Amino acid sequence: MSTAPAAHLEVKGLTKRFGGLVAVKEMALSVHAGEILGLIGPNGSGKSTVMKLIMGIERPDAGSVRINGFEVAGWPSHKIARMGAGIVFQHSRPLHRQTVLENIRLALLPDKLTRLLADPQTDARARAIAARVGLSAVLDRRPAALPFADLRKIEIAKAIARDPQVLLVDEPFAGLTVKETAAFCELICELRDDGRAVLLVDHNVKSVARLVDRVLAMYVGERIAEGTADEVMRNETVRRVYLGGSIETAARPESSFSDSATPFLAIENVGVQYGKAQALADVSIHVHAGEFVSVVGLNGAGKTTLFNAISGLLPYSGEIRREGASLRGRTAASIARNGIVQCPEGRELFIDMSVRENLDLGGQHLPPAESAAQIGWLFELFPILRERQKQAAGTLSGGEQQMLSIARALMMKPKLLILDEPTLGLAPVILEQLSKALGRLRQTSAISVLLGEQNVTFALPHADRVYVLEHARIVWEGTPARFAAEAGTGYL
Amino acid sequence: MTVFWQILIDGFAISSLYALGATGFALIFGVSGVLNLSHGALMVAAVVAAWAAGNDLHVGPYAGAAIGVAVGFLASLATYFAVVRTLQRSRKIREEEKEIFILTATLLWGIMIQELIAYIFTNNAKTVAPIVNGVVMIAGVRTPANEIFTAIVCWLTIGLLWLVVNRTRAGKAVLAASMNPRGVTLLGIELSQVYVVVWAIYGVLVGVAGVLLGMFLGVSSYSVGPLTASAFAIVVLGGLGSVSGALIAAYVVGYLETLTAYLISPAYRTIPALLLLVAVMYVRPRGLLGRR
Amino acid sequence: MGALSTARVLLVALAVIVLASFLPLWVSGYILGLLTLAYYFGVFSMAWDLLFGFAGEVNFGPTFLIGTGAYTAGILDNLYRPPIWVCLAAGALAAVIGGVVLALPALRVRGPYFGLTTLVAVLILQNFIVVAAGLTGGEIGLTVPDVISISDTTNYEIALWFMAASGAILFALSRSPVGLILQASGQDAVQAGALGFNVTKHKLAAFIISAFFSGLAGALLVFYMGTASVGTLVDITVGVQIIIAVVLGGRRTILGGVLGSVFLIAMSEALRPLGDLSSFVVSAMALVVVLAFPSGLLGLLTRTKETA
Repeated sequence: MSTAPAAHLEVKGLTKRFGGLVAVKEMALSVHAGEILGLIGPNGSGKSTVMKLIMGIERPDAGSVRINGFEVAGWPSHKIARMGAGIVFQHSRPLHRQTVLENIRLALLPDKLTRLLADPQTDARARAIAARVGLSAVLDRRPAALPFADLRKIEIAKAIARDPQVLLVDEPFAGLTVKETAAFCELICELRDDGRAVLLVDHNVKSVARLVDRVLAMYVGERIAEGTADEVMRNETVRRVYLGGSIETAARPESSFSDSATPFLAIENVGVQYGKAQALADVSIHVHAGEFVSVVGLNGAGKTTLFNAISGLLPYSGEIRREGASLRGRTAASIARNGIVQCPEGRELFIDMSVRENLDLGGQHLPPAESAAQIGWLFELFPILRERQKQAAGTLSGGEQQMLSIARALMMKPKLLILDEPTLGLAPVILEQLSKALGRLRQTSAISVLLGEQNVTFALPHADRVYVLEHARIVWEGTPARFAAEAGTGYL
Repeated sequence: MTVFWQILIDGFAISSLYALGATGFALIFGVSGVLNLSHGALMVAAVVAAWAAGNDLHVGPYAGAAIGVAVGFLASLATYFAVVRTLQRSRKIREEEKEIFILTATLLWGIMIQELIAYIFTNNAKTVAPIVNGVVMIAGVRTPANEIFTAIVCWLTIGLLWLVVNRTRAGKAVLAASMNPRGVTLLGIELSQVYVVVWAIYGVLVGVAGVLLGMFLGVSSYSVGPLTASAFAIVVLGGLGSVSGALIAAYVVGYLETLTAYLISPAYRTIPALLLLVAVMYVRPRGLLGRR
Repeated sequence: MGALSTARVLLVALAVIVLASFLPLWVSGYILGLLTLAYYFGVFSMAWDLLFGFAGEVNFGPTFLIGTGAYTAGILDNLYRPPIWVCLAAGALAAVIGGVVLALPALRVRGPYFGLTTLVAVLILQNFIVVAAGLTGGEIGLTVPDVISISDTTNYEIALWFMAASGAILFALSRSPVGLILQASGQDAVQAGALGFNVTKHKLAAFIISAFFSGLAGALLVFYMGTASVGTLVDITVGVQIIIAVVLGGRRTILGGVLGSVFLIAMSEALRPLGDLSSFVVSAMALVVVLAFPSGLLGLLTRTKETA
């Protein structure tokens, strides 16, 4: 750290509301010149929103943002950029109709209407920057023709071109190989050593631990811990948020399931590509009829991609089989009708319809008597829904919405229920209720469950088997007990 | 005093007609996400079919109306399958650009229909033989029974629509799709089927609105543009995506027009509504009850 | 289109223009008249493409700008008979002012609302023209006492070289650094803002430039035809034809607009024997192009593929 704080980002009391949801609450942080501050938190914690607020892409409802001592909160983003801030977005966003060189040149241009002739100096500088990040070979190509890592390099090149004193970097390593990640780390360190203040956002403390000087942890819009990477990883609140509390398991052995030869759901060597990024690579898992399987992994690991592939919402390579028969080629709706129902991360409720109407829609494939009986059973499982059955789904609390989402999926009488991060953004008290409901479900019905979670304490007590998904690959498989012993501590 | 009742009744009739057309337009946008710029053309096609049935085939007014509605229905489905669905599934167009392409294509499609109608039937104004004739006295005003009939049928149709959407399975799926298409798929309902249902419903709405318009005021191939423009304007005024907003806005526009026609001059009837639209876009671009 | 350098494209275009300027030697006055119209239409299309293809805004009412320019020039001539160039300048200026007045609300809204604002502008202009019939000639139209020339050849050459000059300026602009910023503003406004560009300022500039050329071309058209009417200059169908010309010719190429206009006018002419059916066939063809060849004629010619 330099003694004189030449470049400085200071945030105080930053707050942002989206309708009734408080995305960021009284956020405070400061980054000095020549320092990298890591901002970590699970999905939905508000860290990306903090970045957007600082950069002026969203306007804060309250709070102050100072760049080099100047108050810029509420300014439009182009003014904040010209004050010396730059951002590397999480998802590459090059201009698709322009070449790599033109994309970098753009970042070097001043905000003037009168630049009618191309400046050869700009061209030379653009080439120099391209050489620094390793893009010299592809300067005349268009982004569509480039591999994923090169697109990320363009983003860094644009940031270098802007020469910002405060640099915001949003989840830079998602989708990169180990070698590419190392190269990126080097670039970011170089930028830091130039004397800039760098704010780095990520969900994974482990991957940024080597890179950052300090860490600040967020959860549900608020800061919960700050210190060195080690200090934060050992912090009680942080561990509880990421791992939950102590872990008890109640697994049934795999041999107890009758369909060992042909498991109910078999996923074989499945791969998914999002544009250039490899979202899933060679993933193979299976779920037996009546089994409860947890897929544990942090954000960006690929859980949602996996579930969407199973539900038929994405193209994939490899095979997905239900009771031996391939699901390839079936529409998403027919896969759902046939007993594999997903409760997605976003819940996807019909917000203007009442709780009852949402449930009725879930049961519209059933004869009316059966549908009514099913609703009765669900009201027992989730009593709060009976209370609120006439209320519009959009007016329910987060936890109630999650319960409604699960109940609605259960109305379809699925053989396999897929739950994608049901605990996202929910307070610990609600997690208890959800956990109880899941427990009852497991005991009273023969349903198979595939649960994707980063909250290990929630996922483990109900699971019969656990997979760990990291950076698009399955890296661990085994019983919950073994997981608690082996992988749990190194997980954060 | 008579003028007051005249304005009230005339305004009500024309507003109801606007409401029916605008409801269809809003429905298609809310569920399918498409601003159908061939809206006016579909309505005129329905009218002209009803007229031709009466004129060339010499069928009675009821049969003529039925034919008109059927043509509206078929034309709507043709619009979906030939134009909208082709573009929605096209791999040659970037996602962000699809909206503009669909706008341009429906505009072109509307012009095609308009020109075809002008070619086959000439661009003279046509009126359809009304189902109800004669005059009734309301509050001392001699009103064509047809006008009352128009308003009643409009509201019956809107009521029927409400019943279908809120009480039938297919209708509820449509309503759900307008809120969350992904949610509908996850519940095992094929979105492609929902879209066909929506465009079919839209076709009936457009057919009925068109035939009623033909009986009430008459149309020509020149009416295509203004009909689309007024439906578009009403839906924006009410708030894109809000069917109830469109209903309210239809009455605001209808009465503004009627008031202007009676109190100032029929030549200026479209102006106050336009000015209102401009004002709303400046002050509250979301419209009265807009969500999106 | 980026594969070909600006200089090379302009050279090829210049060669084509020079060739075209010799057409009067071989071609009848009637065809010259058609081409004259096509060239002015081409300027309308190029100006529209600047706004759409680069600033990313779909303007459903280019005829608002054209009509403002045309009618201002025409009315001025009727009232005060100043020299033609004064009328032209006034027309261009009026269109620019109109463009700014339109841009202010329009740029504050997104997507379909922007389109609607532009549509409403045309409707208002139409209504105004009809209501102020004493000044504007109402629905019948305006006749101007002066024309630029009565010779087909002179009018043709004026149109040709005006189009050439406009095209050169607009094309060069599209390839310049400012053009790059405009493209960024249109393709990804958030990114452009984060890179320090005032997107609103640039889009407003695009509006003004588009308005200038549209208005000037409209004014020139009035002095060519000797008349102006709502049906020929301010109608929504005319606006649609401009959009079709650009989509047909190839969006975001500027020069595609000229190709599209010439193609459209040539087609309408070739289909004239079909009578009233000709408009139907032209729209149908345009629809097929939109559905099957979204990158337009120029896209087909240069074989640029649109990646989905």
